[in-house]
Amino acid sequence: MTVRQFQAMGLILVLALAGHVASLRADELDIPEQVPVSPEMREVLRMIHAAGTYDTPNLPLRQDETYANTSPDLVPFRHVEPHIRFFLEQMEYTGPGRGKPEPEHVDTVKIGFLGPIEPTVSVATGGVSHAEYLGVKMLQGSKLAIEHANAAGGYFRRNIPFELIVRNDNGLWGSSGEEIINMAYREKVWAILGSIDGANSHIAIRVGLRIEIPMMGTGNTDPTLMETNIPWVMRCMGDDRRMGYLLVDYMYRKLDLRRVGIIRASNRFGRFGVREVVDGSRRLGRPIIIEMAYPLGVEDVSLQLDRIAAANVDAVVHWGDAADGARILNQMRARGMNQPFFANDRCATDAFVEIAGENAEGVICGFPWNPDRECPRLDAFRVAFRERFNEEPETQAAHAYDGMNMLIWATQVAGLNRAKIRDALAFRTEPWPGVTGDIPFSAVLDDAGEVFLAKFENGRWRYYSREELEIPEAMEGIPVTAVE
Amino acid sequence: MSAMKLLVSRWPTRLAASLILAAVCATAAPVRSAAADEAAAVLAADATADGPAIEEITDQHLPFIYTEWEHFTTADGLPHDHIFVVKADGYRVWVGTDDGLACYDKRTGKFQTWKEEDGLPWRVVTALDVDRKTGDLWIGLFGGGLARYSAGRFDHFNQLNSGLVNDVVYGVAVENNHVWAATTAGASRYNTVTRNWEIFTEKNAPMEEIWNYGVSYNDGMVYLAVWGSGVLEFDVTTERWNVYLPTDGEMEINLYRDDGIVHVITTGTSYVDKILWISTYFGASRYDGRNWRGYYAHETGLPNDFIPSVKGRSANEAWFATDRGAGVIVDFPTDTWVTYTRDPVTQRGQAVIQRGERVLKTVDLERCLPHNFCNWIEFDGDDVWVATSKGLARARGTGYYPRLKEVKP
Repeated sequence: MTVRQFQAMGLILVLALAGHVASLRADELDIPEQVPVSPEMREVLRMIHAAGTYDTPNLPLRQDETYANTSPDLVPFRHVEPHIRFFLEQMEYTGPGRGKPEPEHVDTVKIGFLGPIEPTVSVATGGVSHAEYLGVKMLQGSKLAIEHANAAGGYFRRNIPFELIVRNDNGLWGSSGEEIINMAYREKVWAILGSIDGANSHIAIRVGLRIEIPMMGTGNTDPTLMETNIPWVMRCMGDDRRMGYLLVDYMYRKLDLRRVGIIRASNRFGRFGVREVVDGSRRLGRPIIIEMAYPLGVEDVSLQLDRIAAANVDAVVHWGDAADGARILNQMRARGMNQPFFANDRCATDAFVEIAGENAEGVICGFPWNPDRECPRLDAFRVAFRERFNEEPETQAAHAYDGMNMLIWATQVAGLNRAKIRDALAFRTEPWPGVTGDIPFSAVLDDAGEVFLAKFENGRWRYYSREELEIPEAMEGIPVTAVE
Repeated sequence: MSAMKLLVSRWPTRLAASLILAAVCATAAPVRSAAADEAAAVLAADATADGPAIEEITDQHLPFIYTEWEHFTTADGLPHDHIFVVKADGYRVWVGTDDGLACYDKRTGKFQTWKEEDGLPWRVVTALDVDRKTGDLWIGLFGGGLARYSAGRFDHFNQLNSGLVNDVVYGVAVENNHVWAATTAGASRYNTVTRNWEIFTEKNAPMEEIWNYGVSYNDGMVYLAVWGSGVLEFDVTTERWNVYLPTDGEMEINLYRDDGIVHVITTGTSYVDKILWISTYFGASRYDGRNWRGYYAHETGLPNDFIPSVKGRSANEAWFATDRGAGVIVDFPTDTWVTYTRDPVTQRGQAVIQRGERVLKTVDLERCLPHNFCNWIEFDGDDVWVATSKGLARARGTGYYPRLKEVKP
């Protein structure tokens, strides 16, 4: 056989295979019967498999009417129609990745984990890292999901186990990016879950974009993470934008507060976290009276509180870690500042209450889900988590469990192909039934599910929806007096 | 003749029009007035000084179309089909891929390749530039730092053995005796004579974020495209920084198209003929030092707003590498575009000529891009190289002419 004949035969074989893939019926997709897939999703998977190297799946792209369910009077520059609005149409991956064949031999199906689990130095915080207590919980949730998947039979298509590849999110000189590269090229993971720190996560997702690997965010509430137009990034947790807007609605539309001050961590998390509260307050005609920053781990915030007290505020919003928030609250109360205290979701924790003690009563925080709701899935998760780790699961663990299960499901139905795993999640036809609640994706593949307010009442955190607290939406509640 | 026309018809036309435009914009920025449009038209006409006057342009004035395309893949000797970057250097064309470095010899038509086993410090090559004085090739490695290929040897610079701020290198640019590296955690500048390193981060440069994505140098100016921090300009003579950010400060909208850079998530820059071309994942921008112009796919020949890089050829022509094909503004004053794409089904190509949103002509091509996902553009005389995620393309510029020419039907 000549080289040319050999090449011709190869071409015929390739075309035949391509034709076979393109003509696959939904019932020929080799989806393991153990994996729940609706008929609609089967059709979606058929289109994903048919796309191949040069085309994109012939599927409608999700269109959102508004970005992040923002009410009309909280939209930036709402009196002017902007030249263009972003984030309303679902992002697409247009590269050749769907055409990559599955590897012939794999012993395990590797999924990466990137999170702050060991102390280090962080460029983002300008000092010692501070999120290990969150990262360890995230790792526990991820591990549990992998263990459950393996107990159920592992990767069904090949009868091999899933394997979690764990890397510490070392913030020093942006090395989170290098960890992503190592996991992708050396460990050959199929998808990655992580991380928590906003700056490190941004570095990681930029690298993920270039490498073309699905990245699931489960612990980072930074709104800008999803505002980068990266089709490989998704998140299964409500973000600071939506939690911030709910707080704004509660403070102004429900409580009719007039003068609100902010005290926040002097890092990227604090700076970006309060942005929506600041913008929302201004857009509703109640601009923030004063915004003070404090260094992480600070013991004495008298300087900041002097200024806030002098500003004669009706309420204080804190954005930062639990321990810092609790110390600030205690110092406020000690000097007779009895204004309502609002905070971000990281403060709605037992760690906050341990330090704040009785002062915690009445504190209200944004929260990405409702741990109080009745849900058999959530109950089963709690039991399993207690059995495995001998402790109660918290928000990071629960979201990581959901995020990892989403990646596992997508791998099961799409096969060992990063682009198809990404597509399976991006084009999923139903919200993901998570232990944290139903998780529908927005056009930017962010969690568009409901967010809540956590109130510390009678010695425990209770969680309320907008409806339960009767918080008005949009133009109701207060007259709009501000002009952008 | 209106007073405005009379005014702008006198010397110095460009200055007067610019002043009028600036004054009109300053007083009535939200709604662009007829006077501003008139002044802008005069500026545009002025820019056509080396071609037909703008009012003489008809639908028969068409740009050069690249119709001869060659493809290169692993079958031709490339180490990998995912091409991140290409750099022309005389008879050599350097190619950075997902798994190795390659050099195409235009005289022989053959590739020489280097992988890790050949001494390349890391497999993923995302940036390339050539030091014209020494002939050294500088290589940005994605996760592997920076390398210099000289005299058949690779020298390796990383964050442990040098002043390179991070090993994830997105862009490299040679500036006089310096080599700049745009990394995921700041920019580094290496003096090849003194061997000193400088690091630029939020500590000493106006970076709101430190996530550098691209770097380019020309004509005394270094430009950094910084993800989340717009574009930073470094004047080599004065060593001063300037920063360009969107004026509305919002991520989810662009309030006005032409009042500044279109978005803060920038990916690339190219400075040529005193014009700065900018790519972002949300559209593109052109800046002449006074006026901004924004470009979006829905109103131009850009195939999509997701643009990994840009290469300016002149003040009037720039090529944008997008994830849905190559979009080329071929004549700035008339807003004339050519869009090159590959049909995913027939595998044939298409060149669409547009003036603004209006399609003037569609040219069917037997061959065009190897894949629509474009990562990088490089000019090589009249030829153009396009790095895509599935192969390298060379478009032959036989008979190339800049801007527009009257083509009789």
